[in-house]
Amino acid sequence: MVTSAPKTGPAPFAAAKAKVLGCDRCGTCLPACPLFQVQDVERASARGKNALVRGLAEGLIPPDREAQEALEFCLLCRACTDACPGKVPTDEAMVQVRQALADTLGSTPLRSRWIGRVLRRRRLVGLGAATLAGLRVAELHRLLPPQLVPRETSRRAYLKKHAGPALLGASAPRPEPAVHPGAKVAYFQGCGMKMLFPDASRSTQRILAQLSPFQQPDHPCCGLPHLAHGQREAFLDLARENIQAFEDADLVVTDCASCSGSLKHLTSWFAEDPIWRGPAERFSAKVMDLTEYLVAAGYQPQRLPDATFTYHDPCHLARGQGIRQQPRQLLKQAGKLIELAEKERCCGGSGSFHLEHPEAAAAILQRKQANIEGTGAQVVVTACPGCLIQLTRAADQSEGAFQAMHISQVI
Amino acid sequence: MTSLTTLEPLVLDGFREAVGREHVIESPLEVFGYSYDASFLALDRSTVPQAVVRPRTTQEISRVMAFAHQQRIPVTPRGAASGRTGGSVPLEGGIVLALDRMTSILELDTANMMVSAEPGVRTADLHDHCARQGLFFPPDPGSWKFSTLGGNVAENAGGMRAVKYGVTRDYVMGLEVVLADGSILETGGKAVKNVTGYDLTSLFVGSEGTLGIVSKALFRLRPLPKARGVIRVIFRTMDEACSAVQEMLLDGVTPSAAEIMDATCLEAVARARNTRVEPGAGACLILEIDGDGASSLEAQSLRIDTITRQAGCITFRSAASKEETEAIWAERRGLSSAVAAMAPNRLGEDISVPRSAFPEVVRRINAIASTTKLRIPVFGHAGDGNLHPSVLCDLGNPDEAARAHQAVDGIFKAALDLGGTLSGEHGIGISKRPYFADAVGPVSLATHRAIKGALDPLGLLNPGKIW
Ligand SMILES: Cc1cc2nc3c(=O)[nH]c(=O)nc-3n(C[C@H](O)[C@H](O)[C@H](O)COP(=O)(O)OP(=O)(O)OC[C@H]3O[C@@H](n4cnc5c(N)ncnc54)[C@H](O)[C@@H]3O)c2cc1C
Ligand code: SF4
Ligand code: SF4
Repeated sequence: MVTSAPKTGPAPFAAAKAKVLGCDRCGTCLPACPLFQVQDVERASARGKNALVRGLAEGLIPPDREAQEALEFCLLCRACTDACPGKVPTDEAMVQVRQALADTLGSTPLRSRWIGRVLRRRRLVGLGAATLAGLRVAELHRLLPPQLVPRETSRRAYLKKHAGPALLGASAPRPEPAVHPGAKVAYFQGCGMKMLFPDASRSTQRILAQLSPFQQPDHPCCGLPHLAHGQREAFLDLARENIQAFEDADLVVTDCASCSGSLKHLTSWFAEDPIWRGPAERFSAKVMDLTEYLVAAGYQPQRLPDATFTYHDPCHLARGQGIRQQPRQLLKQAGKLIELAEKERCCGGSGSFHLEHPEAAAAILQRKQANIEGTGAQVVVTACPGCLIQLTRAADQSEGAFQAMHISQVI
Repeated sequence: MTSLTTLEPLVLDGFREAVGREHVIESPLEVFGYSYDASFLALDRSTVPQAVVRPRTTQEISRVMAFAHQQRIPVTPRGAASGRTGGSVPLEGGIVLALDRMTSILELDTANMMVSAEPGVRTADLHDHCARQGLFFPPDPGSWKFSTLGGNVAENAGGMRAVKYGVTRDYVMGLEVVLADGSILETGGKAVKNVTGYDLTSLFVGSEGTLGIVSKALFRLRPLPKARGVIRVIFRTMDEACSAVQEMLLDGVTPSAAEIMDATCLEAVARARNTRVEPGAGACLILEIDGDGASSLEAQSLRIDTITRQAGCITFRSAASKEETEAIWAERRGLSSAVAAMAPNRLGEDISVPRSAFPEVVRRINAIASTTKLRIPVFGHAGDGNLHPSVLCDLGNPDEAARAHQAVDGIFKAALDLGGTLSGEHGIGISKRPYFADAVGPVSLATHRAIKGALDPLGLLNPGKIW
């Protein structure tokens, strides 16, 4: 009888291999992985990617560009882990192996370096829409989807459409803040919200202000895009900057599911670091997703009798942080919520994935769009700018069948 | 084992012509994904195929086979590679013939209660398709959400419902099979009674891809049961649990599933779910019953209550809600990984004994566990005598690895001694090949070889498997 004996292989892949040791190649994840559905080859699936990690670690697969591309082809959506009987963290393995490949091959593909550089420059990000113009000059726009600046639906237009006349413009009664009365709240404005959805970001700020005064310290990107593309050092630098920027706050609230997800998990990255371990732990402990905070603080959304919503669960919120109920509770208070078929299936956005693999992302989105149209809801709501880019595109393609909005714009 | 070289460009062209260029995978990185299945075999360079060919029609399969035959290229059929014994792992290079793109359900004949489908259809998809018309396709291997019908037929897959409804073989009415040289054979048909010639249909069921490529299958169906219920019963010993199942079957109460687990399994589940094992619990039965409606379920449940009480059960719980049903089944479904989490490695086996020998084989496995100083939790399908002992070990420790293999040998020997077989449902593949000749004896082995020689004289179909 032949059995798998543990082998040792190239050291750079040891960390990634350790993550996939529990994978017994059963195949449970095959139907769960959205990418396997649009590209039915083994390497697109979680099982296939985990096998590639082992193959690299055991010296069966050369660490080359082709391997790197195959392992970049992952949404990090965790649908596989959710389905997996052994809860193998394929997404974490992908992050580790991308890092190892980036280290081994010297540099990551050009596009991710550019994206990394752009997001890292706080000033560039700060310029918002002007950044996008800058990107075009730098010929970076070819990396971006045709309509990167998504046509953002404004809260005002939305209110006009769905509210009864008496309610238009009325603000919600000011509730007592329930989360640590007197806590110093700070808003973490992610790059996506700042650059692409400024109107939604203003809505968040308006809502936060209704609950308590809040600070908005100057801060860089959360670092998730860097991590996803094997730029661990850049990620750690950004994390340290963020820890310092929010030292003063008791609560760090963000309206980007990807930011809250990565900021909540800083601790493990500094576990071995005697200086930063403590601060990282303290910082992560005070991060809250907007909806999580609002429910805890007892925020009462304004009710619009005529609004029908459906809600798309961002991967980083539902599977990443277990936040499923809070957004629904808020939406039910604000209007009628119709549940979406396959509500937790990734929309195909996933950071820069939709820029790098437009066809696969479009195919995934098509299914999402059909599901949204199936609900008959007027508005698809989500809580992550990454998802919102995709959903806005779906809304455009649906020719007015529905609108896409950030949750802060409808509650 | 032949060493691997890349296929000649001309040869690849032949396959490209047969199925279309985009349906042939050649990149070394991509074909690596077709070198393994869900068995415990190590990843290895020697099992990477030279190309993967993905036909969409019977005609394409026929062209691929004719060409492979002419060029003497080994062909390993593959469904979803969820097999547990290495059946779809190519041992001698050549091509993997991946049938997962043949996903059409061809005809649902409600009048005759039959359905025909292509080999790449997922088992659960066929089930759901039929259920929408009130018809029932019972085979339900644990892998049914991702395994394919072709793989199910080739492995004669069973499932939890086998105790009442039988295994895949009991539903196959006819097959379309592409033979090694590309010729197309049709067997069986919709006539329920059929004694014309040899039973060629059965010959291919369980043939593990060594006799032909299943390109279409015709299955019979049953009416969909209108109601289902789930019961969880705890006993002090495995003996008590087994005798309760015997009594039920003798009494004419046939559960549609009767899953059994021993004390170690209960402990593993409790650990994984952060719960506690009932004091004194030594075995657990999870029973599914089905019938026409609530009253039929109630009557069965009452009978089972009485029988299990007589057998000495400690607790009896009949699921009252959908959530409770889910919670009980989740315990069974999470079992395999809960057990796996107890040790660095697990050699999960699949033996089958006559139902009456179930308690005895468990006793022998326990004895093997103590002589090899390893934990060997046992769970399985009590109703049909099919059990899955899992040898827990650390293969990184050479002494323990040796003891683990000794334990596996002992388990197979115990099964054979008691009139059982090497495999209840996972097949022989590669991992049980060393035991095959002993298990079946020389005459059977020669007969197997003669059949193989007649259908695949060049030995190109799934070489290296079964014996
Ligand atoms: C979590 C899990 C649970 C499982 N539970 C069960 C269970 O309860 N009962 C059970 O019986 N099995 C079970 N299995 C084993 C496995 O799923 C079954 O053997 C299944 O039938 C294999 O189907 P497949 O499509 O994955 O086939 P593969 O693994 O791809 O192939 C299996 C064999 O069939 C051959 N083959 C595939 N397609 C064809 C075709 N069209 N024509 C000819 N030959 C073909 C292959 O060459 C190979 O020999 C389980 C496996 C897993 C991972
Ligand atoms: S990742 Fe999990 S579900 Fe997927 S093959 Fe591995 S063990 Fe199975
Ligand atoms: S994280 Fe998502 S995209 Fe990546 S392998 Fe898992 S299911 Fe597929």
